[in-house]
Amino acid sequence: MITATGLYKRYRKTVAVDRLSFDVRPGVVTGFLGPNGSGKSTTMRLMLGLDHGEGQTLFDGERFSDIRRPMNKVGTLLEAKPFHPTRTARNHLRMLASANGVGDKRVDEVMELVGLGTVKRKKPKGYSLGMAQRLGLAQALLGDPRILLLDEPTNGLDPHGIHWMRDMLKHLASEGRTIFVSSHLLSEMQLMADELVVIGRGTMIFNGVVDQFVRDFTQSTVIVRGPEAAGFVPALEGAGAEVAKGKDGELVISGMEIGAVGHLAFTENVELSELSTRSASLEEAFMSATGSTEEFVAAEPPTAPATEKADGADNA
Amino acid sequence: MLDALRYEWTRLTTLRSTYWLTGIGVLCALAIPVIAGFAAGGDPIDAEITAIMLNGGAAFGIPFLAVFMAIIGIFATGHEYRHGTIQPTLTALPQRSRLIMAKLLVVAVVTVVVTLVSMALNALAIAIFWGEVPGLFEDPLASALLGYLVYTLVYTLVGLGLGLLFRGVPSALVVIFLMPLIIENIILGLSFLPMADWLVPVVKFLPFSSGARLLAIEPMVIPDYDLFGRWGSGGVFAVFAALIVTAAWILFKKRDA
Ligand SMILES: Nc1ncnc2c1ncn2[C@@H]1O[C@H](COP(=O)(O)OP(=O)(O)OP(=O)(O)O)[C@@H](O)[C@H]1O
Ligand SMILES: [Mg+2]
Repeated sequence: MITATGLYKRYRKTVAVDRLSFDVRPGVVTGFLGPNGSGKSTTMRLMLGLDHGEGQTLFDGERFSDIRRPMNKVGTLLEAKPFHPTRTARNHLRMLASANGVGDKRVDEVMELVGLGTVKRKKPKGYSLGMAQRLGLAQALLGDPRILLLDEPTNGLDPHGIHWMRDMLKHLASEGRTIFVSSHLLSEMQLMADELVVIGRGTMIFNGVVDQFVRDFTQSTVIVRGPEAAGFVPALEGAGAEVAKGKDGELVISGMEIGAVGHLAFTENVELSELSTRSASLEEAFMSATGSTEEFVAAEPPTAPATEKADGADNA
Repeated sequence: MLDALRYEWTRLTTLRSTYWLTGIGVLCALAIPVIAGFAAGGDPIDAEITAIMLNGGAAFGIPFLAVFMAIIGIFATGHEYRHGTIQPTLTALPQRSRLIMAKLLVVAVVTVVVTLVSMALNALAIAIFWGEVPGLFEDPLASALLGYLVYTLVYTLVGLGLGLLFRGVPSALVVIFLMPLIIENIILGLSFLPMADWLVPVVKFLPFSSGARLLAIEPMVIPDYDLFGRWGSGGVFAVFAALIVTAAWILFKKRDA
């Protein structure tokens, strides 16, 4: 169990984390979601006392700096994957293990567990991004901790690696551990996490179960096509719906159920060739939730096929 | 605290540079009596020459071993920042003061042991070429050798402090080498000029020059400069090291990792 209260961090002018409070429960994977620069890494550093700020984080009731041999209670994988270039991966882990009473046998064990057994005496500078990420996870698991704090652990992993990481975290959660894992991809979190903490610009946007988030922030719209579609607009608007023109002349209707639209077409005597609903993709939901709070918004490319791109990202 | 010491010991001994820096330092120091032995083995030697041979040229102005040990000191803290390992380190050992204390202790003990080994090797080399080491356990040689041990230790701790203060390796290296070689020599040189004679009282507080007086056989005397003796000068150097380490320590506690 992690209890964070009133986390706050300011860098000169920017407030990176603004009064965040949340609980992370054991037995489930809790996703920590936010766009780039929203303050996920800063929050995690704050929780571990690496950065100084306000607020307090308790790991099973203890502050991180008060825990004796903390790796045995809280495993961490931070954003940067720092290793000394001439120290072997195994020695890197042995060094951290030695501060926490963890023996060499366990070091070899976790290296096998993450699939680095054959390269453990190599230097991490020769590791690929995915291997470095696995070494980071090995480091987090060294002390067989009940709590894991992982900052973007799937960064740089290929689909196979992501799958592996997802199964690993779910398995660890099923053993009753507390898992807090950050990401900027909702689609990934939907597969991996049970609960979500969503932030934008350092402030809390949502805290609850994943499906609830998707429901809250996914608006579905009704699509209407037909030879006289344009003439249907005033009637729709008169009934209180919001109508937008789609790319191929279809009507995109929000604020009205599909049944009501069909009934209105019947009473207005309008011929339709299509009547369907379209759900926003997860990425669109995420963007609608965090879009207004996004730190670094890129300029729109001149002719962007917006929906296709979002769909593509969703499937990736 | 034991955990922190274990951590620091593993850190130091799993680093290749520790071995080659110590190795080069000891070999450079050893080269001095060996070369002298081949050149003039058997000729009579006085305490001054013996001291230079035992401390590997340090009394001559080139403290080989101290320089290499100081780099180990800089690496002890600077590497953590240069390679970003400070974050995993602090998630393994979140009590920052304990970490610094462990670094100071481990690096200090290693420095003392290496320096003693180096002196013993050099004494052995002298004994081989000259058949004996005259006056080894008598003053002024004994005090000068103890001074050399203190000098190497303080020099290394200055390095450790600078690495922590600047949170990196290059700037710490620049300071530890430029300060004694250039800045202090410029100040000393200027103080001889009549127009800059207000620098005269400053000279006795120049830290590295003061440190070098720890190794002297004969106390250095410049009229009017009122320099401290061996241990007084050593004290100046030690206070300087303490100031650097304390400042770095306080900042380390306050800053984000
Ligand atoms: N050391 C620092 N000094 C100044 N500003 C910082 C520092 N670290 C982070 N910030 C700022 O704090 C904000 C949050 O950054 P943070 O790295 O926590 O975001 P993030 O959610 O982890 O982003 P990403 O998804 O890209 O990893 C950003 O605006 C960033 O510019
Ligand atoms: Mg981040």
